[in-house]
Amino acid sequence: MKRNAILFTACFFLLAACGLAPRTTVPQITGEQPLTPVRLPMGYIPNVQFAPFYIAQEKGYFKEEGITVEFDYRFETDGVALVGAGTLPFAVVSGDQVPLARAQGLPVVFVATWWNGYPVAVMAMKASGIQTVADLKGKKVGIPALSGASYVGFRALLNSEGVKEDELQLEVINYTQVESLISGKEDAVVVYANNEPVQMRARGYEVNVIRVADFVNLASNGLLSNEKILREKSDLVRGMIRAILRGVRDAIADPDEAYTISKKYVDIPAEQDAVQKQVLAASIEFWRTDKPGWSDPAAWQNMELTLRSMGLLTQPLDITKAYSNDFLPA
Amino acid sequence: MIPLPRSLCGFGVFVMTSQPGAKNSASSGKRSSILRLLPIGAAAVVCLLTWQGIVFFSRLPAFILPGPLGVFGRLVKVIGDGSLLRQTGYTLMEVVAGMALGVGAAAGLGYVLSKSRLVERVLAPYIVATQAIPVVAVAPLLVIWLGSGLLSKVLICALIVFFPVLINTVVGLRSVSANLRELMRSLGATRWQNFRYLELPAALPILLGGLKVGATLSVIGAVVGEFIAPDRGLGYLISVARGQYDTALVFVGVFTLVLMALSLYGLVAWAESRFLSWRE
Repeated sequence: MKRNAILFTACFFLLAACGLAPRTTVPQITGEQPLTPVRLPMGYIPNVQFAPFYIAQEKGYFKEEGITVEFDYRFETDGVALVGAGTLPFAVVSGDQVPLARAQGLPVVFVATWWNGYPVAVMAMKASGIQTVADLKGKKVGIPALSGASYVGFRALLNSEGVKEDELQLEVINYTQVESLISGKEDAVVVYANNEPVQMRARGYEVNVIRVADFVNLASNGLLSNEKILREKSDLVRGMIRAILRGVRDAIADPDEAYTISKKYVDIPAEQDAVQKQVLAASIEFWRTDKPGWSDPAAWQNMELTLRSMGLLTQPLDITKAYSNDFLPA
Repeated sequence: MIPLPRSLCGFGVFVMTSQPGAKNSASSGKRSSILRLLPIGAAAVVCLLTWQGIVFFSRLPAFILPGPLGVFGRLVKVIGDGSLLRQTGYTLMEVVAGMALGVGAAAGLGYVLSKSRLVERVLAPYIVATQAIPVVAVAPLLVIWLGSGLLSKVLICALIVFFPVLINTVVGLRSVSANLRELMRSLGATRWQNFRYLELPAALPILLGGLKVGATLSVIGAVVGEFIAPDRGLGYLISVARGQYDTALVFVGVFTLVLMALSLYGLVAWAESRFLSWRE
């Protein structure tokens, strides 16, 4: 009896291990020329917001550039450090990380902009009457952390409207914005414009959203590389950017196809389909541009000014070295 | 500085030993103290030299592995601007409050469980099951329910401390010899006298053993809370340092946490030597 129980348990874990084996994200190498393997830190968990990358993978755009990509879902800061150390050639990061990393001596360079607006926003219940940045004065505002993209975006928003942080009650609430707002613990919360407002509306709540992108132009998400790679493997950089931008273009052109492909990489329960499609649609709005991949010098200047005003940058920094448009397709 | 008992100063960290040198003269006592501390000091020097050697020969950049001098320089800076002391104070406050709550609840429940097999049978599976719940997964919920302030962090800390102290309380109280219980009964001891003169002294060695584990875990608990809602404390300091690629400051934060855990462990070890001197 005991032996059977042990056998059963062993079989159970074996089957579970087989069932849970990670889906391979590396395509088969079938071409004549060897592909360059690239492990790509994504800075977040698998999500429909990475649709352009999934499309580039699925449609063979990376392969056409001689690259085989393995998605690596890890902390954004770890990805930046690995690229800075030269361990990995690329990472997907938000713009605020680049000046911070360069200030510590990491030779990283932002080579392609994917999001053409900073996705952070402030969300409040419609009934609260909070519609402007000035309305936040004296209110309780929940924020995931006093660091990272949310905090940088929020501070830039306050700066743009001349509101001081100590004029409101800022509370750290981790990623519990939806629950905190619904429960009334917070009057407003700092969110990602393409995510939490969609979640709230899907639950039937009416919300007001104040988008950072409508007030200040900040360097947003995109592809990071390092100076050595740019010097020695410029073709790899150009190929990588080309493949990603083709993925972005396809996602904008056919969101339904983008969603279907994304589902191969992201476990989405059927009941979440409608919401996740809306998250993707809201994300796509940030990707539209007539200059794909282009980094706006003004956005980087604003980012530097914001980080300096927050005391996160204390030494002079040549922000023009933090980004490059030299590797974009002609 | 907390005077560490012999067990902590030598290699026998986990085993309380008797103190044969207690009756020696003061000078020989000092000499033996120095001799005991010597290996620890030597090990620290070797570690620092190895660390510096790795940094020197590997030529790793400071944001990947800062050298000991770089970390020391950062330490001096954050001590100077007062931020280290301030954040350490916050974390220590959470640790002390979490320890008090966790140990209090565990000792109380442990006493009840040790007295009633029925209560143990009913509650034990649930108590054990709670240990399978990853605290990091439920911590955000605690932040929603209790807010992001001190209370949620204290509770997370208490949850982590709770289990080892509970188990040791039950084991300690159950370990009291049946003969001694019989003796107390024959002497007509009241329930309080039983507890005060028999159960507590008999259970104390195991209880304090649990407290040692709890003391070190409490620091982890507080930092878990601070990572979930990083607004202050050493966890916040480390989070911010990581976000700014200031690895030297990450090391400063980690070493401060280690020092805090060691101090708490030493405090319990001191209490052990103070209250259990009758065993020697």
